[in-house]
Parts: sequence; structure tokens; C-alpha cells
Amino acid sequence: MLRLTTDYTRNLFLILILMLAGCTGQQEEPASMEQNDDRKIGVLLISHGSHSETWRNTLFDLEKKVRERILKNEKTDGIKSAFMEYTEPSIATRLKEFDNEGYTDVVIIPILLTVSSHSFDDIPTIIGQKENPESVEMLKLEKIERYTPKATPHITPLLDFSEILRKNVLRRAKNLSKNPEDEGLVIIAYGSEPYEKEWRDLFDKAAQHVQSETGIDTYSIGWCGHIVRYSPDSTAAAVKRVLDRKKRALVIPSLVAFDENFQIKIIGGGIEKVDDHETRVVYKPDAILPDSNIEQWIVDISDEFATTIR
Amino acid sequence: MAQTTGNTFRKVNTVLHRDLGYFFAALILAYSLSGIALNHVDEWNPDFIISKDEIKLEGLYTKNDITPEVVRDISEKVGETGYRLFDFPSSRQVKIYYKNATLMIDLEKGEGLYEKISRRPVFYQVNVLHRNSVNWWKWASDIFAGMLIIITITGLLMLRGPNGFSGRGKWFFGAGFIPPVIALIFQQL
Repeated sequence: MLRLTTDYTRNLFLILILMLAGCTGQQEEPASMEQNDDRKIGVLLISHGSHSETWRNTLFDLEKKVRERILKNEKTDGIKSAFMEYTEPSIATRLKEFDNEGYTDVVIIPILLTVSSHSFDDIPTIIGQKENPESVEMLKLEKIERYTPKATPHITPLLDFSEILRKNVLRRAKNLSKNPEDEGLVIIAYGSEPYEKEWRDLFDKAAQHVQSETGIDTYSIGWCGHIVRYSPDSTAAAVKRVLDRKKRALVIPSLVAFDENFQIKIIGGGIEKVDDHETRVVYKPDAILPDSNIEQWIVDISDEFATTIR
Repeated sequence: MAQTTGNTFRKVNTVLHRDLGYFFAALILAYSLSGIALNHVDEWNPDFIISKDEIKLEGLYTKNDITPEVVRDISEKVGETGYRLFDFPSSRQVKIYYKNATLMIDLEKGEGLYEKISRRPVFYQVNVLHRNSVNWWKWASDIFAGMLIIITITGLLMLRGPNGFSGRGKWFFGAGFIPPVIALIFQQL
């Protein structure tokens, strides 16, 4: 496959194609071929960002795990990761790199569970697709740079459009479960104020899937993010709701990666507020990642978008 | 000789305390105000005034009913004559974007929430400084912190005699440790 690496080479190639087209009189076909070959497609994995190094490394590991499989199909020319806030590499930094490297299209894959202000407003505002007034102001305060790339951005659907989350919660619940009849499931997630219904629906479905596969028929959902002002109380309340009806509660943190502040301080802190938590609460402070289904989903959706773009 | 050196030290100490105090007074007030504002970040938004108005639509809509004309009609209800964009966060919602406002419509309920954002005067500006929202400001902030240390130390050493540090000052100084120590003990419990 001929890969054009500089603007200069690409322009020469374009001139050559146009000259040939002029000679043969077949203007449309070569022009169309040139347009397809000239595409340079990148994949950008975007996640929320965190002060936790463990959290960030999990996302870099995800990129490493999918890199070879994505590049193997030769439709995609490069892959990078970016964080929406807190640390570099930021979205703007990565988009500038793609532009400097001559990419024409960037497939943006948000590693986010479901709709939230981040996915719906903040990311599109950062990349210049929207101007949500609140996002514009917040991004300025948080020193998050906005950058409209020269490459065309294509944002993929979120993880909730697949069954990945249901399978993930089921696998982790099974690992903790000993006697489903005596157990209830507690799912703790970040949450979103304007989209609480969507978040609740998502985890209702996950919990119902666990119920149908394991017989664990009681569940409750708690939040640990901005919606509850990062308070452990929502976790404690969700655990208590289950323990009112069952002997043991299995607590599953439904967060993309491990962050000491969330899995230990907020969720762990909430569990510690529950009486008899040592004997009645089963909790493993893990995360949704690593998950081979998510890796495969990223590979598939990259391939799907790259195929459509080409 | 020793008396002269001591007097010179006292004089420099006093001048430093006085003039640094004058120079940094505005910043001390700004950071104090912002500190109070940010302490209560869970109870209010210290940066922005977000006015919220709920509206009731005359009929119910589905996602397919939402056209630019319908969006314009709905926008008029909140006094907006034009919109920038509209988008669907979910099948039951449409969000309309204006210059300094948004309108989120719940199509199933026929209700809307109009939010208008503006910067909270004074607080927004002092919070920008306190949170280092200007890239290079953290260096100014570091210098300010260093100067606060100097202002504090020169303050401790300014007076002599029964009202100086070696007199009643040491007791007040020690008492100042009590509230943070109590807080730390509570945190460990």
C-alpha cells in the first residue's frame, strides 16, 4: 500500500493524477481513487482522565492491547490515547499531533459508559463541534484547551450500545458470589445528574442480566461521582438497601479503571459505614478494565468507522 | 554594637512586615474570599450564576417530530429568537443550544429546563486566581505563598517584651495548633 507521508509528496501525487486524468479524459474515476487512497485515518481513545497513575496506566495498557489488531487491518494508520482532563496527553494535544502528521480523519472513541455531560457536551465542545455555554466556561476554568482539528473527527457511540457492560458485571458478580440465594448485588457507578435515568436504565439492565444468569434477585444502584458530590453516603445507602433483604451484599464498582480516590476512599469508605460490613459485604476494588470484550469492541468499531470513511 | 545590629534587624523586620503586608493585602483578601467560596462548592456554584426556568410544552413530541421549525417555536417560549444547534442526548431528550444558554426538553414529559449561565461577579475572578486557571499564575501563587510565610514570621518577631513572642505571643502561637490538631484527631477516628 502506498502511504503518503508528507504534504509535499501528496501534492506531487495529486498533480500527477490530475495530469493523467487530463490526458485520458477520465476525470472522475482517478479523482475518486485518489481521494480514497489519500485518506489517512487515526483512532483516538478518549477517557475521562484522573490524578491516579494506576488509572492512567490502565488506559495506556488498553491502547497497547488494541494497537496491533487495529493497525493490522491497514484501514487505520495510527492510534493514540488522550485524557479529557487533569493530565496530558490532552485531546487538543493529540488532535494537533494527528494534524501535524497529515491525518485526514480521526475516529474518536470515548471510553465512557453512557451519556453524560462529558460525552454529550464537553468532548464535542473541545473538538469544536459544539459550543455548549457551560462547557465553554468550565473548560476555560479547568484550563482544558479547545482545538478544532483540520482532520475530520468522527465520534463513535458509547459503550452502552453493546452488551459489554452486562457481561462485565455478570463476570465480576460470579467471581464474588458463593450462594446466590443469600446475596444481593450493589452496583456503584459515577452517575450523571442530567442523565440519571439513562444511567439507571443501563445498570438496571446489567443487574437484571445478572439475575437471569445467576439467580441473584436483589440489587441496588449507588453513585460515587459529582452527582453525589463524591460522597461515600450513596454507596453506604445502596449497600444497606440490599442488606435489609439479603444476608450478603456483593459490591461491584462500575468504573472504567481503578482510581484510589473512588474504589478505596469513596466506595471503600461507604462500605465501612455499614454495620457488620466485614462479614456481610463482599467487595473487590477492581474496575471494568481490563476486559477483552471492550478491547474487541474498540477493534470492531474502529474497523467499522474506518471502512465507512474509506 | 550588638544593640545596633538588633535594632537594624528589628527595623528591617518591621519594614518587611509592613510593606509586604501592604503589597499583598489585595491578594490575601482575594484568596480568603475565594477560600470561603470554594469551601462551600457543594452547596453553591462559586463561579457561575446558572438561572433555571422550567417550561411546560403544549403538547408531547417524539424525536421524529423535532424539526428546526419546532425547535424555533419552542425557543420562543424562553425568549430565544434563534438557536445554534440542537441534538439528542437520548431518545427521550432534545437539547437546544443558544449563545449563553441551553434548553433541555424531556419529550416524554413535555417539560423543559432552560439554563442561562453567567459569571458570578468578583467570585469568578478571585476563583480564577485561587485555582490557577491562568497557566503562569501558579508561579505568582508560589511567590505569594513564600511571601505569606515571610509576613507571618516577621509578624511573630515584630514586638518585644510582654506582648512579644516570648511573652503572651508564644501562648497564642501554641493555641493556634489546637483546632487543626483536633480536626486531624477526628479524621483518624
